[in-house]
Amino acid sequence: MAVKRKLIKERVPTPERPAEERIRDFKEVNLGYTFELAVKEAERCLQCPANYAPCIKGCPVHIDIPGFIGKLVQYRDDPDKAVKEALQVIWACNSLPATTGRVCPQEDQCEMNCVMGKVGDKVNIGKLERFVADYAREKGIDEELLFEMVPKIEKKGQKVAIIGAGPAGLTAAGELAKLGYDVTIYEALHEPGGVLMYGIPEFRLPKSIVKSEIDKLRKLGVKILTDHIVGKTVTIEELLEEYDAVFIGSGAGTPRLINAPGINLNGIYTANEFLTRVNLMKAYLFPEYDTPVKVGKRVIVIGAGNTAMDAARSARRFGAEVIIAYRRGEEDVSAREEEVEHAKEEGIKFEYFINPVEFIGDENGNVKAVKFEKMKPLEERDSRGKRKIVGTGEYVTIEADTVIIAIGKHPNRLIINTPGLKVERGRIVVDENLMTSIPGVFAGGDAIRGEATVILAMGDGRRAAKAIHEYLTKKRNENA
Amino acid sequence: MYRILEKKELSMRNIWYKIEAPHVAKKVQPGQFVIVRAFPNGERIPLTPVMWDREEGWIVLITFIRGKTTMRMANELKPGDSILNIAGPLGNPAEMEKFGKILAIGAYTGIVEVYPIAKAWQELGNDVTTLHVTFEPMVVLKDELEKAVGRHVLETVPIDPNLDFPTNMKNVTKRLVEKVREMLEKENYDLVFMVGPAGDQKAVFEVVKEFGIPMKADLHPIMVDGTGMCGACRVTVGGEVKFACIDGPEFDAYQVDWDVLIARTGYYTDMEMRAFQEYMKLFEQAVQGGEQ
Repeated sequence: MAVKRKLIKERVPTPERPAEERIRDFKEVNLGYTFELAVKEAERCLQCPANYAPCIKGCPVHIDIPGFIGKLVQYRDDPDKAVKEALQVIWACNSLPATTGRVCPQEDQCEMNCVMGKVGDKVNIGKLERFVADYAREKGIDEELLFEMVPKIEKKGQKVAIIGAGPAGLTAAGELAKLGYDVTIYEALHEPGGVLMYGIPEFRLPKSIVKSEIDKLRKLGVKILTDHIVGKTVTIEELLEEYDAVFIGSGAGTPRLINAPGINLNGIYTANEFLTRVNLMKAYLFPEYDTPVKVGKRVIVIGAGNTAMDAARSARRFGAEVIIAYRRGEEDVSAREEEVEHAKEEGIKFEYFINPVEFIGDENGNVKAVKFEKMKPLEERDSRGKRKIVGTGEYVTIEADTVIIAIGKHPNRLIINTPGLKVERGRIVVDENLMTSIPGVFAGGDAIRGEATVILAMGDGRRAAKAIHEYLTKKRNENA
Repeated sequence: MYRILEKKELSMRNIWYKIEAPHVAKKVQPGQFVIVRAFPNGERIPLTPVMWDREEGWIVLITFIRGKTTMRMANELKPGDSILNIAGPLGNPAEMEKFGKILAIGAYTGIVEVYPIAKAWQELGNDVTTLHVTFEPMVVLKDELEKAVGRHVLETVPIDPNLDFPTNMKNVTKRLVEKVREMLEKENYDLVFMVGPAGDQKAVFEVVKEFGIPMKADLHPIMVDGTGMCGACRVTVGGEVKFACIDGPEFDAYQVDWDVLIARTGYYTDMEMRAFQEYMKLFEQAVQGGEQ
């Protein structure tokens, strides 16, 4: 018998800290749901069947979204049980839900196809996922689940090396560990997490949360070797002697620079350097932390992607006046809507249709202004569907004492110079199983895509783990 | 975590650390460096393995105490303690060829980076002369260099207590330039190589250029990750932007834009000073508190 239910059109909002308070620190902006609010939001979900649910199709790792949301409603009288059951559903597909719940562009993925969108607001899937992970962590429910899971894992006796402890590598490692493989991650920096640690700021993704999610992978048996630079400390060839398979998740960490005079003046940072100093090295706590960073009175951030928003909003928290300079128009901005809104609320100014042509310095080699050419859009569109732009021959100079370049990144050269590894336009070439030109070596994430998103990298990590499992199962059977 | 096997003061402000770091020891080549993070709230600093034993798995780092991190390491680390992170080896190895007669110059503690390269060049059949110019109490690796290369020239400059440190340093620069000129006038060299402060490298390069001798220099820009992901260490070489950590650290001195390098190296001087002073205040308080 069909149950009659009332549609709740409006989304239950999550509390946020006001802009004037949050620009004074690096603490998290969005405070997330309480259990009561989460249940209220969960009740809005229509519980589409799993084989149909469009939200599941939109999720790159295919979490059973109605499944976990349903648990919150089903066990509403027992919050701990509700969260434990929900987390179990999420963990089947995603080992880092506190992270993805915060940083995924849900509007382009799971939430994009949510049926509720036809009658009202889409279900706030990201914030519900985040709630489950946060509540579980605070109450130790995740530990309990791990404690139950780990002894059930059947060891396969085969070893897999993962290059890079970013979203792709961590996901692949988690999946492979759950399947019983002996997994070791090789990470160049001193902290695992990749862009989650050095790129995404504390106020969007607290580092303690990333660390705790990574610790759970360690409890699944994943070993992490930091300070190991594959290509220098050890080569892929050497890894293949010791391991049965290798996954490359080394990301796209090399910043693109603007080919304009004055690019090496002091005060000009790449977004990677600026964000690494601020996030990974905690330069905003200098001199309590040893790494310095300099943010002047006026900062120009060049670019309008998520990295540009992160850099601009970080700079704002040092008390600077911040301008985002973008060579295209407002409609072409590629950053998430939520981030652009947050940036605007925090008082960041946007200048459109200007393209830097020269960085002007003072007698000490410090930047003091940026000269831009004014651009205009054409009707014609490029391959990504964005309007093409041309210079107008008119120029404008804007003074600034700090400039942050956020125009994109390339895959790291240290990895792609591996002999025998097929690379096109700086990206590692893979087949439909994410296997590279070297048998037994797989790759995913930004290393094969160029700059993309955290969740796409995680999707690749999961797909690669499946492919590696198949590859190694065959290998086991051949040897048996 | 990398255990400190030995620690000793070699000379004024020069500290020797022998550290267990098998992953680096196994692979490092002359010219390569490591990035070290010694404390949980610490920064990442580039240092150069001076010696290593691949089998025993240790490397030797020699630090010159010039700011908070190196001072804190000297004050707080004891043999048996561990260094949190040593990433490496990083950078490209020095070119190992038969260049002929080489003058390898080290200013101050720069000589510790010259040591592994000069030694390897000599072993390869080059005729290497090393020149170390530094303050009198700061001499290091004299015996080791005398053993390793054809000829080791030591030029010391006294520290005049009536002058401030920058003025004293100018005397080192002066002696360095004079001595290099004298040596190049007396003998023909096929290659000059130098490690030292960027200002001194530029001053020496100006002299070498007059003689038209090829010159290589190990550059020391500011580094954060050391793996090519941030560009803090970018330098202009031959009109192009290069990252010293993955394209260098060794470059053709004729191609380097020295003024850009000198400006970039000094960008954080005020903050470095503040970090150092605040640390020393705390350190002095701790020492006095301990004595009471």
